[in-house]
Amino acid sequence: MIVCVAVVGHQNNPLYIQSFTEEDDALKLHHIVHCSLDVVDERVNNPKKSGPTLNETFLGLLYPTENYKVYGYLTNTKVKFILVTTDLDVRDADVRNFFRRFHAAYVDAVSNPFHVPGKKITSKTFAERVSTIVKSFGLSSAG
Amino acid sequence: MAPAGPRSGDAIFANVERVNAELFTLTYGATVRQLLTDLEEVEEVNKQLDQMGYNIGIRLIDEFLAKSNVARCVDFKETAEMIAKVGFKMFLGVTATVTNWDANDTCCSIMLEDNPLVDFVELPDTCQGLYYCNILSGVIRGALEMVSMKTEVTWLRDVLRGDDAYEMQVKLLKQVPEEYPYKDDE
Repeated sequence: MIVCVAVVGHQNNPLYIQSFTEEDDALKLHHIVHCSLDVVDERVNNPKKSGPTLNETFLGLLYPTENYKVYGYLTNTKVKFILVTTDLDVRDADVRNFFRRFHAAYVDAVSNPFHVPGKKITSKTFAERVSTIVKSFGLSSAG
Repeated sequence: MAPAGPRSGDAIFANVERVNAELFTLTYGATVRQLLTDLEEVEEVNKQLDQMGYNIGIRLIDEFLAKSNVARCVDFKETAEMIAKVGFKMFLGVTATVTNWDANDTCCSIMLEDNPLVDFVELPDTCQGLYYCNILSGVIRGALEMVSMKTEVTWLRDVLRGDDAYEMQVKLLKQVPEEYPYKDDE
C-alpha cells in the first residue's frame, strides 16, 4: 500500500505532500520524504557510469527502511516525485507506471493558468487524480 | 428549399490553418491571468474579456463570411444554428447545440459540449465570480453586431463554476436595418 506521495520542487521546497494512512503519522512520513531528498541529490551528482542514464527520470529504489520502501523520480525540470510504500515486494514496472501517470497528473496541474510555478499545488482535481492513481496502484500490484 | 452553404463546419475546419490546441489554451490562460493581475477586480476582468471578444468578433465575422460561403440567414433561428454548427467548428474545432428557444424565437441557449479554452483550468477560490470564457460571448456579440443584429450574450452555466455544462444565452435585442451613415458632403 502506498502510504505517502510527494512532489518536491527544484529548490527542495515541498509542492505537494499527501499521506494515505489512517494513523496520525504524517510527520514521520514527511521526515522520510525529507531524508530521501539527500539520496536523490546523491544519485544525481554521482550518476552510474553504466547504462543509459541520460534523460532517465526514474531513480528506482532510493532506500529501504524497516517498514517502508522509498522510490524516487526526477523530472527534467528537477522536480522530484517521492513515493513511500509499505509493500515489500513491489514490481519495478508498477512503480514506473505509477510515476508515469503521476507525472502526467502533475503536468496537467501546473498547466492550470492559476497555478504559480514553484508554489504549492492546491488543485483539488490534482488531489483527486493522485488519490485515484494511488488506489489503483494497490489493485494492479495485487492482481 | 434548403439554403445553400455548408451545414457543418467540418470541411472548412479541415482547410483552415490551425495552431496546437495546448498552445492556444495556455495562451488564453496566460492572458486571463495577466488581466487578473493588471485589473485586480474580477468584475473588471469579465468586462475586459467581453470587450476583447467583441473586438475579435467584429473582425472575425468577415473571415467567417469569406471562408464559409454561407448564404444569408433568413431568421435569427438559422443564424444561431449557423454559429453553433459552422462558426464554432470553424474557429474552435468544436460543435455546439442550440436549445431553449423562447416563444418569439429571439432568445436561445448555445450549449458547448466541449470547450478547448478550459483544459487544465481550475478556478481558485479568489476568482469565483470570474466568467473565464467571457471572451466567447464577446465574440458572438461583436460578430452579430456587424451583421446588424444587436444581441446580448450571457453565461448561464459554466463547468468551472460547478455547473454541468457550458451554456450561453443569446438574446436578440433588435435587428438594425442596414443603413448608410455616409453623408455625401463628408
